[in-house]
Amino acid sequence: MKLRITAVLTLSLLLFVSQAFSQSDPGIRGGPPGAGGPLPSVAADNPLTILKFFNDGQSRFQEVDSVKGTIAGEAGKGLGPRFNAMGCARCHAFPAVGGTSPSVNPQIVDAGADGAINLPPSFVTLSGPVREARFVFFTDPAGNPITSQPNGGVEDLFIIAGRSDAGPCTTSVISQPDFASAVAHNNVIFRIPTPLFGGGLVENIEETDLLSYQASVAGNSFGIAGTFNHNGNDGTIARFGWKAQNKSLEIFAGEAYNVEQGVSNELFTQEHPTPEEERSLGLPNPCKLNATPEDHTNFNVGSIATLSDAVQFAMFMRLLAPPDRSPDTPGGSASIGRGEEFFNKIGCETCHHNRFPSFSSSITPSLDTQKVNLYSDLEIHHMGSTLADNVSQGAAGGDQFRTAPLWGLGKRIFLLHDGRTPDLLKAIDQHSSPSSEANTAVLNFNSLLSTQKQDILNFLRSL
Amino acid sequence: MWRLIRHSLSSLFAVCIGLSADAGTAPAVVPNGVILVKGAAPRSSDSVTPLPEEGKVADGRYSNAYFSLSYPIPAGWTEQPAGPPPSEGGSYVLTQFAFWDREQQRVRAQVLVTAQDLFFSASSAPSARELMASLRRGVVPQYEIERGAEEVTIAGRTFYRVAYGSPLVGLHWRVLSTDARCHALTFTLTGGDKAALDAAERAMGGISLPKESDAPLCVKGYAHDDNIVEKTEPYLATRRFNTIPVRVTIDGEGRVKHVHVLSAFPDQSDAIIAALRAWRLKPYLVDGKPAEIETGLVFGTLRAAARGSAAGSGRL
Ligand code: HEC
Ligand code: HEC
Repeated sequence: MKLRITAVLTLSLLLFVSQAFSQSDPGIRGGPPGAGGPLPSVAADNPLTILKFFNDGQSRFQEVDSVKGTIAGEAGKGLGPRFNAMGCARCHAFPAVGGTSPSVNPQIVDAGADGAINLPPSFVTLSGPVREARFVFFTDPAGNPITSQPNGGVEDLFIIAGRSDAGPCTTSVISQPDFASAVAHNNVIFRIPTPLFGGGLVENIEETDLLSYQASVAGNSFGIAGTFNHNGNDGTIARFGWKAQNKSLEIFAGEAYNVEQGVSNELFTQEHPTPEEERSLGLPNPCKLNATPEDHTNFNVGSIATLSDAVQFAMFMRLLAPPDRSPDTPGGSASIGRGEEFFNKIGCETCHHNRFPSFSSSITPSLDTQKVNLYSDLEIHHMGSTLADNVSQGAAGGDQFRTAPLWGLGKRIFLLHDGRTPDLLKAIDQHSSPSSEANTAVLNFNSLLSTQKQDILNFLRSL
Repeated sequence: MWRLIRHSLSSLFAVCIGLSADAGTAPAVVPNGVILVKGAAPRSSDSVTPLPEEGKVADGRYSNAYFSLSYPIPAGWTEQPAGPPPSEGGSYVLTQFAFWDREQQRVRAQVLVTAQDLFFSASSAPSARELMASLRRGVVPQYEIERGAEEVTIAGRTFYRVAYGSPLVGLHWRVLSTDARCHALTFTLTGGDKAALDAAERAMGGISLPKESDAPLCVKGYAHDDNIVEKTEPYLATRRFNTIPVRVTIDGEGRVKHVHVLSAFPDQSDAIIAALRAWRLKPYLVDGKPAEIETGLVFGTLRAAARGSAAGSGRL
């Protein structure tokens, strides 16, 4: 009897020990979303009526688009002819409107909505992340990539052909890009949505603060030396998107409306063709079903409805509060505190810089000289051949990415630019490969004890 | 009509390719794990002159012809993935080794070998000594200084050494830096295992880094207007907002013998290399005799740090 007890004890002790020796991603933090609401000063309606702008933007952001805007439940006008999903909030959905990919991918439903006859490509699945696709190179007619002709533009997954409101835009004039061939030639890369919480704060970080931070970490002991992506025309620092390819929320909103939903607007005035169509004669005429731009300032309407959707999408994103972090979940406050300390010391924080001040704001007090705890330097860094997607955008080459802001990480289902993993440990491991600036930080991470690694993982999921 | 013809022609072409693929030709596939589409990258005017980024690992040593450096890899340490290309600010990751505890899947210690081109450093530090002093100032608030900065002699060379650590993390850093061809050549040893760190530091005694090498003299700021006899500015056709650090070797007759663009887009490198070939400078004199030298130039967007140390001319 006594023997048996000792055996059980030893066994459980062994179990305990072996458990203590392997760290693991605590996974999505439970509880309320902790995101999706307005900044505190916006909630307090300061300045007066600003809350109305937020609410209006939020509801337009959730609008579902159809071609003519006449289908019940699909009041937005201008879908397609090519699109990736039927509304902003389809993709920017989790853990709340304005976030990123939900666990069930709405693109599968959108592919066949209202009679559409799209074949979802193999890389878009019901349980997988929302994805946007780009072809790396243009191809010959057989689909062989021509490496002297970089493509990199977004290939919309779906077409409106077959939909009850698509009229003459049928499969005899338009077709989906050949994704099967692109997959067979390994010529396609993916991007998942980035979350939008705290967007206005990111927009309001002064360049001086970014530049002086960059100078302050020159000569660091981690081999890290990033650079900035710049807006092509005025040369100022661009900061939105996986490669920091876009300057402002409004430009991104205009581009997204055009590229993701196919809604032309005052910022992007023509319908969005595939990169191949762009090199040829553009979209087929029978598919240009609405006058352009489809979204525009609504003259003579009065009040808030005057504004275009694109402008109101940007305002919604600008006024979104940053995500809440948990002081004690997962793992308790002591573990989270240690985790942050380790994160700072081993080189993660050199790229994932915890905090910038925001500049004084003309919009609302919560954007004014605040601490922006985004955990990103907004620089682009070489991330090595394992993460490289061979798409260049502005100054960012094939393996350069903007340091992903880590705020809200506790509620992220899919990680890295293409959503290749849900597991924090894998995401960290992927930082290390030839050409990466993060190799030293990853070696430092791998110098830690399992319990210390666990502290870092707890810290990350507390964000 | 033409569209139709073109369409049928291309389908015909597709059919042919399809047939030949059936006949056994594999379809072209974009390889994984290869960076094909590059951003700013290094380039040089010939393929024989050694460059800082071109070190090699063989027979238990890391050797770098540019620095005439040979470094004995501590026993049991393994080469790690290569680092990024040289940065806009002239920093290089040369190589990296780590000592893994395979059983525990844990790194006991590692060494990162870097070089900072002192012509271009953002901190404007003129020497390894200053660079270490600024590192020491920089790390004080975040880590505990364990020793230094102090001077130590390794392989007959003066190294500046700073040791610091974090008791909470249980990691120690020992940073040793020396001057080589107007670069701060730096060995950063990191780890939780003090014995391994000690061993690695001892192993540095086996470094070979001859003081007297046949490398050209490095002279900061030589290519300024007073010394230039003839020059054409390169035409950079597109504004890309990047800083382009360039090292040039100037021969005893004042001609540009070699150009190393540390970081630029290909069109920029082409234009810069072509333009610099036509430059003529006053020969640099050592004891009255013309000598071969290397110096630095910056093109493209000059950042504040580069401007600051350029004495107004934009030439470092
Ligand atoms: C099909 C899914 C999808 C839809 C629909 C969509 N997005 Fe996105 N969104 C993405 C992806 C993917 C990215 C990352 C793109 C990149 O950087 O390559 C992104 C990124 C963004 C960003 C950049 C945020 C940052 O910090 O990087 C903004 C802003 C944005 N989207 C706004 C919108 C707006 C506004 C709409 C509606 C008009 C919208 N998106 C619709 C998928 C989508
Ligand atoms: C050299 C800069 C750099 C360093 C150092 C670095 N990261 Fe990152 N990190 C990035 C970039 C860039 C991305 C986005 C990469 C991508 O998606 O391809 C990223 C992505 C991530 C992600 C996924 C976030 C998301 O939105 O999907 C996590 C988690 C993360 N890093 C954690 C860490 C941890 C922990 C460390 C330290 C061990 C670390 N990083 C060190 C630059 C860095």
